[in-house]
This record gives sequence, structure tokens and C-alpha cells, in this order.
Amino acid sequence: MPDWVEPVARYILEEGLPGTLRVSAIAVVGSALIGVVFGTLMTIKFLPLRGLLRFYIEVFRGLPILVTVFIVYFGLPSVAPSLEFAPLTSASIALVLWGSAQVAEATRGAVQSIPRGQHEAASALGFGWVGRHSSVILPQALRRLLPPFVSLLVNIIQNSTLAQVIGGLEILEAGERQSERLSSSPPIGIGEIHAAEIFAGVAVLFFLISFPLTRLAAHLEKRLV
Amino acid sequence: MLVATYDLWAFVSENGDELFDGLLNTLKVSGFAIVGAFVIGAVLGAARAHRIPVVSQFTAVYVEVIRNTPILVQIFMIFYALPQFGILFDQFTVAWLSVMIWGGAFNSENFRAGFQAVSYRYREAGYALGFGPFSTFLNVTLPIGGRIALPSSINTYISVVKNTSLMYVIGYAELTTTALNISNLTLETIEALTLLGIVYLVLVWTLSASIRLLESRLALPESS
Repeated sequence: MPDWVEPVARYILEEGLPGTLRVSAIAVVGSALIGVVFGTLMTIKFLPLRGLLRFYIEVFRGLPILVTVFIVYFGLPSVAPSLEFAPLTSASIALVLWGSAQVAEATRGAVQSIPRGQHEAASALGFGWVGRHSSVILPQALRRLLPPFVSLLVNIIQNSTLAQVIGGLEILEAGERQSERLSSSPPIGIGEIHAAEIFAGVAVLFFLISFPLTRLAAHLEKRLV
Repeated sequence: MLVATYDLWAFVSENGDELFDGLLNTLKVSGFAIVGAFVIGAVLGAARAHRIPVVSQFTAVYVEVIRNTPILVQIFMIFYALPQFGILFDQFTVAWLSVMIWGGAFNSENFRAGFQAVSYRYREAGYALGFGPFSTFLNVTLPIGGRIALPSSINTYISVVKNTSLMYVIGYAELTTTALNISNLTLETIEALTLLGIVYLVLVWTLSASIRLLESRLALPESS
């Protein structure tokens, strides 16, 4: 293997990969929490609340995620200086806005698919609205949400590359920086272009992360539906 | 000029021509990519559904590679990596080509599912009427399976339109690039972002409303 490979691979794995994982972890957890709450609230027959949540879902599912990233990264600081976030944080926030909209829509469907009798049985046992949903309805709905959750995870990991556009150090940005470094003249670089090898490596890395997860999603889909 | 006053109308009217060109470029790239993704999807989806050797396996690999790598990495491959092998495209070509390849992969899955949902009896009926395999596909499987695949394929086209915004990274002057470049000079960031939000939501919402309209109009008689 040529000499340039090792430091490049190290940089991508040691500096880039943690960035991707951090953004993805925050985005998945945030999307799941907010999405499940919003999706459950969507089943309440209170029109203004439902209209508000529907608007939230349609807006953040409809916008290109890159535009949401720009809104968070460039737009929020112009509104209030205290809302200035680092690139990786901005990308995480944007992905939470998008992901929670996806999860909310899926949760609404899953909650509504739980038979009426479950609600009635829980009420008969003396559960209030919160207890009924958290102890009876959601545990059953979450089972049905598992396949879409895994697909969401894959989508979030892939879309975390959008942080690259605003300079956040994740896998793709790490690859891009190394590709630029190598092309500069010594001693910094080696004056050679290795973009193809580096970006192919980045693609392989993402494939290795995503492929088992998409298989898992397909498997869960078959088993749980 | 540096005073931060929000005036969306001034932003749009002062840069109207440029923004309109940007919108046209977004639509042009989307149009090229959607037509391409439709053809790729129909052809490769058919190959998959009918298990045509070689093409079917190639499609499976193509779909998995595209689905499991970020589209941004795919764009970087086409824009930064291919020139290393002497393959150099202009920005417009990279723009429609990359979203077409991406959309084609997702669409071939949509069409595969649609074609596979067509009952074998229909095809048998085609053969019984004297149609060959190819004309049976054109006259029986495609019209029925195509309709079944329509809602999911329109969803793919919607994603294609949204993904054209990624051409910002290669500096192609579609809507997102144009609006942000203007705002870099005039500091009208909020105006630019508002406009982007409105235009993309109108495009996306119109397309998704069309799904519902088409679903009811093109629904197969027995599925209602």
C-alpha cells in the first residue's frame, strides 16, 4: 500500500468517524423522542394542536434537508446571536427537525393502528391519558415502529454528510480535507491527486455501516408486520 | 445597506431575473433527472421482476450501492473523482446525472415491486391472446404495474427535486446556490432562506398533492 494511505485512513477514522457518529446519535435520539411525543399528540382530537403538528411535519419533511441545515446554521444566528451553533451541532439540529417529522408521521399511524379495545381496557383499569399511552399503547406501537426506526437510522447516518457543506468535521469532510492536503505540494502534501481512492474509501465506509442496517430493516419488516 | 431590515419583497424584486434563472435550472435538472429515473426505473425494475440474468444481478448491486452510500458522496465521486480518470463533466451534467443515478436506483425498486404485484394470470391472459413476452410486458404488465408503482415513484421524484439543492456543493447555479450567493453579497440571509423555504415547499407540496389526485384517478378498478 502506498505511503499516503495510512495517515489519510487514520484521519478519516479518528477525526471523521466520531463526528459522523456524534451527529447521528444526537439526531436519532432527538428524532425518536420528539417524534414519538408529537406523533402521539397527533392522535388527540384537538384541531388547533393537530393542525400545528401537521404543519411542522409537512414543513420539515418537505424542505430539502440542506435548506434546513442552512436555516439552522445561517438563519438562526441572524435572528438572535445566541442561536449560533457549531457546524456539527447545526447539522444535528437540522436532522432532528427532519427526523422527528418522519417519526411523528410513522408514530401517528402506529398509534392509530392499535385497536380501540386496548384504549378501553386501559381506561377501565383506571389509566389516565398519559398512563394509558405510556404503559399500554406506545409499547405496542413501538414494536411496529422498529423497522422505520432502523431505516431512519440509515437515512440519518447518510444525511449527516450534509454537515460537510457547512464545514463540520465528519467522514466526508475528513476525506475532502485529506484529498486537498495530498494535492498540495510537499511537505504538507505529496502533489498528487487521490480524490477517487479517498472518496471511494469514504463510500465503502458508509456502505459497511449502512448495509447491515438496511438488511436488518428489511428483516424486521418481514418479521414484525 | 448593512442595517438588518427584513424585506422579502425587495430581495425578490431586486434579484428577480437571477432567482428566476436559478429556479429554471432547478426545474431543468429535476426534469432531466426525473425522465431519466423513470426510464432507468422501468427498464431495470422490469429486469428485476422478470429475473433477466446479468441485468437483474447488476441492478441488485446498483440499487444496494446507491441506497447504502450518501448521495453527497456520490456527487463528490462524479465531480471530484471521475476527472482523475479523464472523465470531466460540466456542472449541469454532474447535477442531473448524479440525481438521475440516485433516483433511478430507488425507482427500479418501486417499479420492481409494482411489476411483481401484477398477477401472473394477467400475463398468462396476454400470452393466450397471442402476445409475445415483450408485448405482454408493454400491454399488460407495464400499464398495471406502472400504476401500482406510481405513488412510490412520485415520492422518489419529489426526493429528486429536493436533492437538486445539493448542487450547491458543486457551485451549480440552481435555486439554492443562486439565493445563497446573492445573500452573501447583500447580507439578506433570512430573506434568501425564506424564499428557498417557500419555493421548495410549494414545489414539494404540489407534487405530493398530485400523488393523491393521480391515485384516485388512476386507481385500478378492483382496488377501490
